[in-house]
Amino acid sequence: MNSQATLSRELALRIGLAARALPDTDAKRLLSALTDCIGLPITEEKIAGLNLNSLKNASAGQFLNVDEPLLTHALSILKSGLNIPEQQAYIDGDMPGSVRIACASNDGINVDGHFGSCAQFMIYQVSADEARLIDIRHTGIPDDLDVEDKNVFRAELIQDCQVLYIASVGGPAAAKIVKLGIHPIKLPAINPIAEIVEQLQSVIAGTPPPWLAKVMGIEASDRFRFEREATG
Amino acid sequence: MALYIVEADCISCGDCEPVCPTNSITEGAVVFKIDKKTCTECEGDFDVPQCVKVCPIDNCILPLEA
Repeated sequence: MNSQATLSRELALRIGLAARALPDTDAKRLLSALTDCIGLPITEEKIAGLNLNSLKNASAGQFLNVDEPLLTHALSILKSGLNIPEQQAYIDGDMPGSVRIACASNDGINVDGHFGSCAQFMIYQVSADEARLIDIRHTGIPDDLDVEDKNVFRAELIQDCQVLYIASVGGPAAAKIVKLGIHPIKLPAINPIAEIVEQLQSVIAGTPPPWLAKVMGIEASDRFRFEREATG
Repeated sequence: MALYIVEADCISCGDCEPVCPTNSITEGAVVFKIDKKTCTECEGDFDVPQCVKVCPIDNCILPLEA
């Protein structure tokens, strides 16, 4: 039967989205890699059986050099679409030297949200060599809750985070965020969360700026010291 | 008399640099810094130190103890 070989609309969409999550990859390239690793026809069942290593080694290892978080992310899009990124368990103390960040997002993939209107905050725990999506906090105010200030409610929702990434934020709202000890960072353009996380990881792995080291709980004496400049 | 920038709190936003009337603020290796020899705490130019006024972080720019 001919329809056996055709891709379902939903699956085709996911392959397209997953390809976009990978560097220098279009749907065609990913499709041929998938064909190589699970064979035609590409079905829901076969995709579900796909794991990170098989994707990595597809087509003579052409995704070997892609960073693992990106691949993991692409794989989760392949399996479940954009709406349900994979959440991982986290217990305090799991990741020493880590920082908790909140990303204002509407699509769950990009930092594309305005602080006061985004649909959710994606909460990540990030260390130099690991990043976990540990929670997704929806910003809907429960019916039985009487909220005086929407922005305070939102800031309190992410109170356990040290850093917040947003596409935009108003001045008074930013003040409320800072007041709760959260460091807001407004990005100049809409960026994928995966990219932001990766950037942060390289900063943590290198020499974090003093303010970041401070919120990460690194003692001043343990921080990397630059040679003191003579100030006269 | 002069002001100084608390290294652990400065986020290197650079907002203070252009508002200094004596050009005493420069970007250092880690964060921004104030030249204590030329900082006047804006006396004679403004009523309040301009860097403190524009700094987004509380208690990040403080008077240097003599």
